[in-house]
Amino acid sequence: MKNAVSEANALGCASHDSRQNGQKMSDGLGDAMIPTTDLMTRSASTPFEFKAAAHLLFIEREQASNLPGLLDALRSCPEDSIFQHTFRTLEEHHFIKEGFSNDFAHWAYSDLSVVGLGERLASLDVREFTSLSSLRSRLIQIVEDFIDQNPKARENRAESPFYFCSSKAVVLPVQLRANNLADFIEGLKQVSVHSIHYHFIEARLRRKLETNDFSLWLQIELGLSRAASLLNHIDIYTSTLEGVRRKIVQILQNATA
Amino acid sequence: MEETGRSIPAQPESPGHFQAKPAQVRERRKPSISETPPLAPPPPQLADYESIIGKSQLDELRFLAGAVRGKTVKMVNSTALGGGVAEMLNRLVPLLGELEVKAGWEVITGGNDFFEVTKGFHNALHGGEYTLTQQARDVFMLHTEQNRQRMSFEEDFVVIHDPQPAGLIASKPDHSARWVWRCHIDLSNPNAEVWRFLQPMVERYDSAVFSSPAFARQLAIPQALFYPCIDPLSEKNKELDESYIQEVCDNFGVDRSRPIVTQISRFDRLKDPVGVIQACKMAQKYVDFQLVLAGGSAADDPEGAVVLREVMEAADEDPDIIILDLPPWSALEINALQRASTIIVQKSLKEGFGLTVTEGLWKGKPTIASAVGGIPAQVIDKLTGGLVHSVEGCAYQIRYLLTHPDFALQLGRNGREHVKENFLMTTNVRRWLLLFRILSGA
Repeated sequence: MKNAVSEANALGCASHDSRQNGQKMSDGLGDAMIPTTDLMTRSASTPFEFKAAAHLLFIEREQASNLPGLLDALRSCPEDSIFQHTFRTLEEHHFIKEGFSNDFAHWAYSDLSVVGLGERLASLDVREFTSLSSLRSRLIQIVEDFIDQNPKARENRAESPFYFCSSKAVVLPVQLRANNLADFIEGLKQVSVHSIHYHFIEARLRRKLETNDFSLWLQIELGLSRAASLLNHIDIYTSTLEGVRRKIVQILQNATA
Repeated sequence: MEETGRSIPAQPESPGHFQAKPAQVRERRKPSISETPPLAPPPPQLADYESIIGKSQLDELRFLAGAVRGKTVKMVNSTALGGGVAEMLNRLVPLLGELEVKAGWEVITGGNDFFEVTKGFHNALHGGEYTLTQQARDVFMLHTEQNRQRMSFEEDFVVIHDPQPAGLIASKPDHSARWVWRCHIDLSNPNAEVWRFLQPMVERYDSAVFSSPAFARQLAIPQALFYPCIDPLSEKNKELDESYIQEVCDNFGVDRSRPIVTQISRFDRLKDPVGVIQACKMAQKYVDFQLVLAGGSAADDPEGAVVLREVMEAADEDPDIIILDLPPWSALEINALQRASTIIVQKSLKEGFGLTVTEGLWKGKPTIASAVGGIPAQVIDKLTGGLVHSVEGCAYQIRYLLTHPDFALQLGRNGREHVKENFLMTTNVRRWLLLFRILSGA
């Protein structure tokens, strides 16, 4: 893996010369001052290979019809269920930009009519978690705290049960690879939203890092640390995945404007 | 030809044409559609779906198929004609073949005694009263054994659809195939005796597949979730020329210059057509629209004919309630009516998965439906449609959506995306490929 900082510094020197020649410079979204044309075509040492994941759903044994039942099931369900009902919610409902941050929040709100719990669960951002065990612990903690503060809510019975499911994934190669920023932006425009989800949202669990595949590659391979950081600030809960795709492309195009 | 009365035509008025029956008193040209089923169009090919799901998703299907390319699959069910399972297999098997997964389809045989027993099982598994006699067990096992002797199971994967052929699992030890039981019916509240009889057979499979978590049972084997699906290229769902939609509406006396609220379903009390009329009459005090109730043929269903009469009485000759009794081969006409509609309603009291809801959502129509059966998986309240629990709730939702067209438009868009993601034939193909991969450890 190349040293992004040293490479960026080296390129920064080169860009100074270019500016004197009257070429348009990047606006600083890339940490290096690199001529726009160079930034778009400069080759990465490791190309970005777009992938996606196909998921098959399985029905698990756990079900919940009230809050104690939810708590029990959260403790005993497989980690794949935690993944399915949080990370995967965003993919399954990628076309919705309101009210669907995770299945537990939706159920608490719409089936159990416990709005306060629904709001607390909905405020979870899966991007803060790099492991499913920590996400499970947080979910349990939210439900436990809510029951402690609202003991009567234990008796609420859901209109329909929460059925725990899980998903098994097969990683799919997409016939697209990017050797430079121009290819990368083009690839982003072409891949399915499932690929966006795989690289931009699911990646945390795979890498155990609070970032995503796109940002890592942009930072390490192209030295675009600022753009990489901006990607991590896109609000995935108030946008569709198509909207997320557009914002990523916009940030990268701005980096070269 | 002018239609002025409410009587239900028992016979076609002219050779070659079935007289669909609008029930309103307003004078209207009698609609006519073919008396006999039209020739089935050739089935679509995989590439035809590219315009719908995109190249990237088709490429994903081809990749998934790669790991099971050349493998063989046998699908087994109990009927080659009629019913949703046969319709689905008619599409699924050729599509798997195009992906170089060699899929075949066989139908079990049995006498009247066998199918009487399996019909009893079917109703019992839906929760109906049933006494399982030794004779019924013997008939089931005898025909299962005869089918086992007649059929071979040399394939890599054997998929058995529904309870009728479930006993074929007895052949599993003789072969190396991975066996899957695909249950299309709701097992949430089965007759205990019948389920105790079938469960040991089911648990010998490598995996079961259900249409909804709510329809499944606690089993000792993995249970995959495959939602039912529609074919976006079928006669009932394909895109139609605007001129054809207009022609159908003109034929049925539907005025496209005014809002149209439609429920498509057979005339069955569980579909609550009278409740739909009541809801519409409530809503029509505030908003102007026509109600279209278009159902399957009541001619060969005595109970359906009774319900149709009840519906017509409830309509009370209201000229804005158009009741159409259509023959089973009216897919194109139903497609056109759905596409002409402003709102689709499915106010069922009980429902399986509710594929008419899927059809409405796919056409981008704001859809109001009861929170029963598989409908909540499709209609997410206020996001992909409106879920209702009463006549009054249905009336209010109709009023709201007709007076908030931007919100209705957004629901329609979301609903279509939801179907595209989860309930299309291509998604079904993807699920089978994934399951075969997982079962074979590929």
